Amino acid sequence: MSLPGRCFLSLATAGFLCLPAAIAHKKVAPSSSTHRARAIQALNRLTFGPRPGDVEHVLAIGVDKWIEQQLHPESIDDHALDARLAQFRTLRMSTEELAENFPPPTLIRRVADGKQGLPHNKEERAIYETQLVKYREKKEKNAAPDESPMPATSEAAEKLPGMLKLGPDMRMDALLSMSPEDRSDLLATLKGNARKEFLDGMSPEQRESVLAMYNPQQVVTQELMQAKLVRATYSERQLQEIMTDFWLNHFNVFIGKGADHLELTSYERDVIRPHSLGKFEDLLLATAKSPAMLFYLDNWLSIGPKSDFALGIRRTPRGFVRHVPPRIQAKKQQSGLNENYGRELMELQTLGVNGGYTQVDVTEVAKVFTGWTIREPRQGGGYFFDERRHEPGTKIVLGHKIRENGEEEGRAVLHILAHNPATAKFICNKLAMRFVSDNPPPSLVDGMSKTFLTKDGDIREVLRTMLESQEFWQPAAYRAKIKTPLEFVVSSLRATEAQVNDARPLVRELQSLGMPLYGAQPPTGYSMKAETWVSSAALLGRMNFAVRFASGRVRGVDTPSPSLAKVDSFEPKQILTSLENSLLEGDVSKQTHDTVSARLNDPVISQRRLDDPARTPDVSMIEGLLLGSPEFQRR
Amino acid sequence: MLNRRIFVRNSALTIVGTAAVPGFLRRAAFGAVEPGTRTKRLVVIFQRGAADGLNIVVPHGEQAYYALRPSINIPKASVLDLDGFFGLHPSMSSLLPIWNQKHLAIVHAAGSPDPTRSHFDAQDFMESGTPGMKSTEDGWLNRTLRSVHSDASFRAVAMGPSLPRILSGPEPAVAINNLNDFGIGGGGPQASPVQSSFEAMYAGSVDAVLHGSAQETFEAVKMLRSANPEQYTPAAGANYPRGRFGESLKELAQLIKANLGVQVAFADIGGWDHHVNEGNTEGQLANVLRDFAQSLSAFWIDLGELAGDTVVITMSEFGRTARENGNRGTDHGHANVMFVMGGSVRGGRVYGNWPGLDPSQLHDGRDLALTTDFRTVLGEALYRHLGNQDLSNVFPGFENRTEGFLRLL
Repeated sequence: MSLPGRCFLSLATAGFLCLPAAIAHKKVAPSSSTHRARAIQALNRLTFGPRPGDVEHVLAIGVDKWIEQQLHPESIDDHALDARLAQFRTLRMSTEELAENFPPPTLIRRVADGKQGLPHNKEERAIYETQLVKYREKKEKNAAPDESPMPATSEAAEKLPGMLKLGPDMRMDALLSMSPEDRSDLLATLKGNARKEFLDGMSPEQRESVLAMYNPQQVVTQELMQAKLVRATYSERQLQEIMTDFWLNHFNVFIGKGADHLELTSYERDVIRPHSLGKFEDLLLATAKSPAMLFYLDNWLSIGPKSDFALGIRRTPRGFVRHVPPRIQAKKQQSGLNENYGRELMELQTLGVNGGYTQVDVTEVAKVFTGWTIREPRQGGGYFFDERRHEPGTKIVLGHKIRENGEEEGRAVLHILAHNPATAKFICNKLAMRFVSDNPPPSLVDGMSKTFLTKDGDIREVLRTMLESQEFWQPAAYRAKIKTPLEFVVSSLRATEAQVNDARPLVRELQSLGMPLYGAQPPTGYSMKAETWVSSAALLGRMNFAVRFASGRVRGVDTPSPSLAKVDSFEPKQILTSLENSLLEGDVSKQTHDTVSARLNDPVISQRRLDDPARTPDVSMIEGLLLGSPEFQRR
Repeated sequence: MLNRRIFVRNSALTIVGTAAVPGFLRRAAFGAVEPGTRTKRLVVIFQRGAADGLNIVVPHGEQAYYALRPSINIPKASVLDLDGFFGLHPSMSSLLPIWNQKHLAIVHAAGSPDPTRSHFDAQDFMESGTPGMKSTEDGWLNRTLRSVHSDASFRAVAMGPSLPRILSGPEPAVAINNLNDFGIGGGGPQASPVQSSFEAMYAGSVDAVLHGSAQETFEAVKMLRSANPEQYTPAAGANYPRGRFGESLKELAQLIKANLGVQVAFADIGGWDHHVNEGNTEGQLANVLRDFAQSLSAFWIDLGELAGDTVVITMSEFGRTARENGNRGTDHGHANVMFVMGGSVRGGRVYGNWPGLDPSQLHDGRDLALTTDFRTVLGEALYRHLGNQDLSNVFPGFENRTEGFLRLL
C-alpha cells in the first residue's frame, strides 16, 4: 500500500487538510503528523478504539505493516486474552454439551417424566435437581393456584452461617450433599450480598455451578455476552473481532428466540469467526447450515408440500413405498413450506432488497431449502438434511434451473447468490458503511465490488481494496462515523485502560443504551448509521455513562485513571492536555477544551488536593466530560 | 361472492378541530403550554412484525375464514362480537367498554398498497408515508409538524431508546427511553454542573449532527425537570400491564398530563411475527394482544378528560396470509386492521369495504385484499383532529381529498 504524502492533519480542528503534493513533500514537521493521522484513522476503523500508546505503536511498526498484521489475525499473539477468557467454561463447549450441562426446560421435563436419568457428576446432578424442584413446584402451583406457596423453610437459612465459615471447597461440598429441597430453599434465601459472600473464594467452575442452579440458561448467555465485551476490549486481533461483530450483525440471530440461547455460542465460535476474513460463500454456507440460523428463521420447520413427509410416504431401502397414517407422522403438526429464510437470505444477506428477485423466487428458494433442518434443536442437536421433507422437482431461482438434487440444490443456490453482482454491491456497500462513512462514495463501493467478484468473494481482499483506496484516507472520512453504543462503551474502556473484573454490569449498560448484545430481534440486525444512535435518549445515556464510568460508579470495572499516573503535579492544564491526548489523541475542539478548562477550578476537583497536598486531584469529572464530549462520540 | 359494504354513512359532518386552531400555537414562558389551553394530539402505535389482523378483528360471519384456518381460528363462541359479522379476539376484552362508549373505531382491510412482504421495507414505507419510494428521507409524523406550529420541547415524542423513522426529519423530536433517567447527574430542580458543561460543549460544537440532537435534548430535560415526573401515579383504574409497551404508554400519559405540549407521539410494540404456533384463543398471539389491549385501555383511563383531545391510531406493516401455514402459523400477507380511538372518534363501527376471503377475492390468491389506504385514515386524523390541511406535503404523491375520508372523526 503506498500513499503519497497527500494529506496533513490539523489536529486541532479534527480533520485532514489536503495540501498540494509539492508542499507536502517539503521536509517539514507536517509529514509526521500525516503519518500520525493515518495511524489514528487506521486505529479508529480497524479497532474498537485506540488505547494510550497505540498510535505510537502503530507508527513504530508502520501503518501498512500493522494493517497487514490485522488482516492476518493468526499471526498475532493473543495469549493475554485467552487467559481472561479461561474463566468462561461454556465458550469451549459444544451445543450438545451446553444443553447437557445447563439443561433447558424441555430436558428437565424429560427427566421429570422419567424419559431420561440424572447425570452422575455431583455438581451437574445438583443443577438438574434444583431445576426439578422448581419444575414440580410450578406444576403444583398450576394445579392448585389458590394455595399459597409454602414459605422457604428457615431451617435452610439456619445452616447458612455455618456454611459461610467453611472454606470454598467445603462449602461447595456441603451444598452438594444437601437434599434437593433443602438446597433449593437455601439458594432462595441467598440474595444480594449474601450470595456474593457465599460465592466468595470459589473457583470459576464452582461459581458457575452455583449460578446454574438458579438459572442454567442464563449462565450460558451471560458468559457469551461477557466474553464479547472482553474480546472487544482486550483482543489484540482487533480487526478479526470487528469483522466477527460485523458478520454476526449481518447474519443476525436473536438470542431471545427459543433454543437460540444455546446455539449462539457455537454460532459465533464455529460459524462466524473462522470465516470472518475468508470467502463469503463459505460463510454463507456455514450460516445456512447452522442450527442457530435454521432455528431463527424457521427453516428447520419447513416442509415441501409434495415431499414424502407431507404426503405420509415412507420408502424402504429397496425403494418400496408405504403410506404412513397421518396420525403417526404428524408428531409436530407441521406440513408446510416456510418462506422466512428464503426471503431474508436474499433480502438481507445477499442480493439486498432491490437485488432483482421476486416473490416467486422467494417461494422457489424456500422449496430448495426444504429438508435443511435440525435434530432435536432444544437439546443441542446439529444440522442434518432430511430427504423426506425435501420438495421434489426442478426449481427456478433467478432464472437458473435448479434440477432436483437433494441437499446439493441449496449449495447451488448459495453459490449463485454469493457470486451475483447485486450481492457484491450489497455486501461491499455495507462494509464501506461500517469502515468509511454512512454514505460511502459509489466509486469506493464499485472498486470493492470488483474485487469481490474477481477474487471469489474473498473478504480479506475486499478489505484490502478498501484500505488501499483513496476514499478510505480522505479528509471527509476522518472521524466521520458516530460510534454505536457498543463502540462507545468499548472505546471508553480501551481509552482509559480500564480493568474489567466483571463484565455483567457493562452488559446491562449496553441494554439501557439501546443495544443489547445479541439482542437485535429483527433479522436486519442493528443499524450502523448515525441517525439511529444520536437521539436525545441515546445522547443522555452516553453522557450519563461517561460520568458514572469515569467516577468509578460502573460496577465490576476499575478505572485507574492511568493517564494521570504520568502527571506528577497538580498543574490543571497539564492534566487536561494529558487526558485529551490519551482519550482523544489530542483531537479536541476549542469549544470542548475551553468548557472543560473552566471546570478545572471546580472545588470538587481541587478539594482532595487541598485536604492533602500529597494526593493527586480527583479529575474523574474531567475524564467523564471528555468521554461524553461530541468528539468522543465519533471514530 | 360476498362483497359486503360495512359502512355507508350519509349524514352530514360536524367538523371538529379545524376551525379553532387552538392555543398551542402560542408558546408559553417555559416552553410548556399555558394552563387551560387545549392541545390536540395524535398518538401513533406501530405493531412491528406484521400483526395478524384476521385473528384480531375476526370476520366470524365469513365461512371462508374458518375454512382457511382450521387450527388457529377463533371459534364463533369465543369471539367478542361487535356487529354480527366482526368480533374482537377474546383477549381484547379490555377494549370493549371503549367500543361500547363509541370512542373506538376499527378500519379493516387497511394498510399500505405496496406489495412488499419484507418487514423492513413495509415498515419503512409506512413510516416514511411514501409506499414504494425508498428515497424519502424523513418520516410523515415529522412532516406533519411542519404545518402545525409549536415550540414546545415535547411536541413530538417517541417512546424508546432511539428516534424511529416515522419521526425523523428536520422538525425537533425527542426520544425517551425512561422518564426518570431523562437528565444528567440525577434529578432535582437545578441542572447539575456536569450537565451545564455538556450543554456548553454541545451548544458550541461544529458537529451538526450531534449539536442539533443535543440542543433538543437539553431543552427537553429542562422542561421535564420543571414538571417533576418522579411524583406520578396513574389515575385510578388505569392498570398498565408490566412490560415495555405498557411502560411506554404510562410514561406518555405522564408527559401528556404534565401539560408539556405533546402534539404527536409514537410508541411501538413487537412480537407479532407468528410463523409458527400462533395459537388461537390462547397462545402467542393471544398473549401479545392482551398486553396490547390492556395497555391501550389503561392509557385511555389514565388520560381521563384529556382523552377528549387525543386520537390514537394503530398500524402494522402488513397483514398475514389468510390461510394458516404448515406450522400452525401464518406468513407475510397484505391488508390488515387499524384501530382509531379518541374522544372525537365516531366509534362503535367497523369502517372500510370488506373484500371477502373467498379464494377469488384474495390478493395474490393468498392475502386479505386492501380496500383502504392507511394514508386515508391518517390524513383524516391530521386534517380533522390536528387541523393540518397540508396533506399533500405530509403524503406526497397521494391524493387525500376530504370527500374520500371515512368520516370516522
